[in-house]
Amino acid sequence: MAALITHSSILIIAIPLVTAFLTPLIGMASKKARNALVIAILTFVAFLVFALARDISINGIHIYTLGATSPDLTIPTGFMVPVRIILEVDGMSILMGIIWSIVTLAAAIFSLSHIASETGQNRFYTLLLLMVAGGFGMMFTSDLFNLFVFLEIASISGAALIAFRTKFADTQEGGFKYIVVSAIASLMVLFAIGLLYAQYNLLNIGALAQVIQYTTPDKIALALLLIAFTMKAGMVPLHLWFPDAYSVAPASITGMLVITSHACMYAAFRVCFTLYGGMLDAPVVGWILIVFGLLSMFVGVTMAVFQKDVMRFMSYHAISQLGYMWVGVGVGLAVLGNPELVATYGRDAISGGVFHILNHAMYKPLLFFTGGALFHCTGTRDLTKMGGLAHKMKWTTILYIIGTLSISGIPPLNGFSSKILIYESVYQFHPILTITGIIVSILTLASFTKAFHSAFMGAELSEYKKVKEVPRSMIIAMVILAAGIVFITLFPSLIVNWTIHPAADALIDQSAYINAVTGAIP
Amino acid sequence: MTFILESGYAFWNPLIWIIVFIVVMVVVYFFRRRGQKKYKKDTAQARIFLCGEEVPEAEQRHIRVGNIYWGFFETLKEYYNQVLRPHTGIINDYVLWFVAATAISAIVLLIAGL
Amino acid sequence: MEHIPLNFPFLAAALLVGVSFYIIIFKRNLIKLIMGIAMLASGVNLFLVALGYRAGGGAPIYTDAPEGPMVLPVPQALTLTSIVINVAVLALMLTMVIHIYRHTGSLDSEKSRKMKG
Repeated sequence: MAALITHSSILIIAIPLVTAFLTPLIGMASKKARNALVIAILTFVAFLVFALARDISINGIHIYTLGATSPDLTIPTGFMVPVRIILEVDGMSILMGIIWSIVTLAAAIFSLSHIASETGQNRFYTLLLLMVAGGFGMMFTSDLFNLFVFLEIASISGAALIAFRTKFADTQEGGFKYIVVSAIASLMVLFAIGLLYAQYNLLNIGALAQVIQYTTPDKIALALLLIAFTMKAGMVPLHLWFPDAYSVAPASITGMLVITSHACMYAAFRVCFTLYGGMLDAPVVGWILIVFGLLSMFVGVTMAVFQKDVMRFMSYHAISQLGYMWVGVGVGLAVLGNPELVATYGRDAISGGVFHILNHAMYKPLLFFTGGALFHCTGTRDLTKMGGLAHKMKWTTILYIIGTLSISGIPPLNGFSSKILIYESVYQFHPILTITGIIVSILTLASFTKAFHSAFMGAELSEYKKVKEVPRSMIIAMVILAAGIVFITLFPSLIVNWTIHPAADALIDQSAYINAVTGAIP
Repeated sequence: MTFILESGYAFWNPLIWIIVFIVVMVVVYFFRRRGQKKYKKDTAQARIFLCGEEVPEAEQRHIRVGNIYWGFFETLKEYYNQVLRPHTGIINDYVLWFVAATAISAIVLLIAGL
Repeated sequence: MEHIPLNFPFLAAALLVGVSFYIIIFKRNLIKLIMGIAMLASGVNLFLVALGYRAGGGAPIYTDAPEGPMVLPVPQALTLTSIVINVAVLALMLTMVIHIYRHTGSLDSEKSRKMKG
């Protein structure tokens, strides 16, 4: 068991990768065996992630050097800097890992029925496992080029999964837009990595953070990295591809793609807080994130009230909720140079932003899954054609209500806990941020009520007389996420003390990250 | 102690909220029990009255999503015309926004350091 | 070799990146868009290889190495990885353009779009 924990970070990335290539072989023999294999592997990976989380809470940052004789040997003998790829898992990374493991398990269970009528399912599960490996790699690595490689793995498999149903025209268009945007963002990330390598000859984030000075090429690299990662994370005004790509994908894949957007947001936080740390112009970068975050919140929700396609509507809400996270963490970044302000409200603002990441990752895939359930039963995503579905789809209605109350920040659900953390800390920075947040919450509730009425309420329509409730595996997937929501609802302080405050502290204080890489001399 | 979440100013306790909610629901239930019990369910007492007009079938009464919140959209029509203009759907515009945002943030970061 | 200034590869990479962004932003044909992305990839790869050059350096191979400095090997490894990734990305993009053409009959980015707003 101890050996399993020591090697857990590389196992979490390698096991889905290897299984991805085993899946077509087993799928050729038996479909049930392939489905069972995928679910079993994702459950085992989730177990490993939780075991690693417990180990990190006891022993501190977990480090793993690939290719060395022992996992702690970050700097080889005779060298002054780390040269191997190092996986470094601290509080923030393991929080993203926990989210990803839960959501991918729910998405795989959802896919069992949702794509049951499609051909080429072997390739679907291969691509899904590749995306899982890419996501974990992005969250656990501490090497910039490794981050680029896993970003590309996740983007390529995500784009192939968006365009999976080739019989529809809009899926191809959405997949094409996603891969073009991902390719350009990744190439600009590679350009910035080249700029940083050219000056310091280092690729490891911890080693770079020790020696970086804020020269002009560093500023250009920061602008490139920040804008590329925020474009992949759906920040206004770079969000134009987001609804096109995420509304046409199969619903389980959209749930996973939202968490990939969170992972790109996590990469942006790594760059700002850990890589540049105290050297960057904290108020300027913080204000850039806050202004774009405000725009995201407001434009996202006003465009969402307007939509008639249920998945597009939920994608715009994802943009607006991501804006809350940018505002929360942006406020924390803006006061980073001032220790007493950090203690007063900076840490609470970052905690609110990070807690909102966790809550959003629980209710947003649930809402996308209910949208997928509507598509599965009625064959259309168009809300103007739907009505009166609550009579037959009772479970979906209840889960949709839980998701709506959660996303609008209605007490007692989990959205309220993170929003109140953000509102009360951001208010002390500037009141307009809280006021905009509250208005956006009201508009969110309004738009979800509108969609609820048009899809679920009303009399039963004659064209939907034969609609039945969705298959059991889809209900189980949605109930897993709803159970997560209820758990966070009842025990917010437990979640915050166990996972959120360690993550916020890991972001604020980069020295633990640097010491884990450079201090571990053999 | 595990139920209370501290934020900077105040605290949030979901257990107390749930208990208050249950108490209020019990009070509401007792109010409802004291209401009118004698009404005839399927006669003209329970039907919709529309000033003597014909009431359409339940299916046709369902308001579709394009018509909900009409007043909100009428009032904000100019805002929506402006905000819908960048949302063209053409992929070239998406990359143009990316280049513009990178250029502006690079200039802002370079100027702020001077 | 002495007449070419050391900055020349960087200028060439900047020119490639600039022209490719012009192509991606202003050309409506989807195939030309993909060519623009391929050119962007070439520009970034050229930048990566060029930044590893050390004046007078030879190939970074230890067997029978001549005396003198060597160029940096790490950017060459990064470039190889990037070339392979871009091959996969370009193949995926071309497949999607084939499907878009089959469904909508047009290769224009404005005429073949179905989603806006």
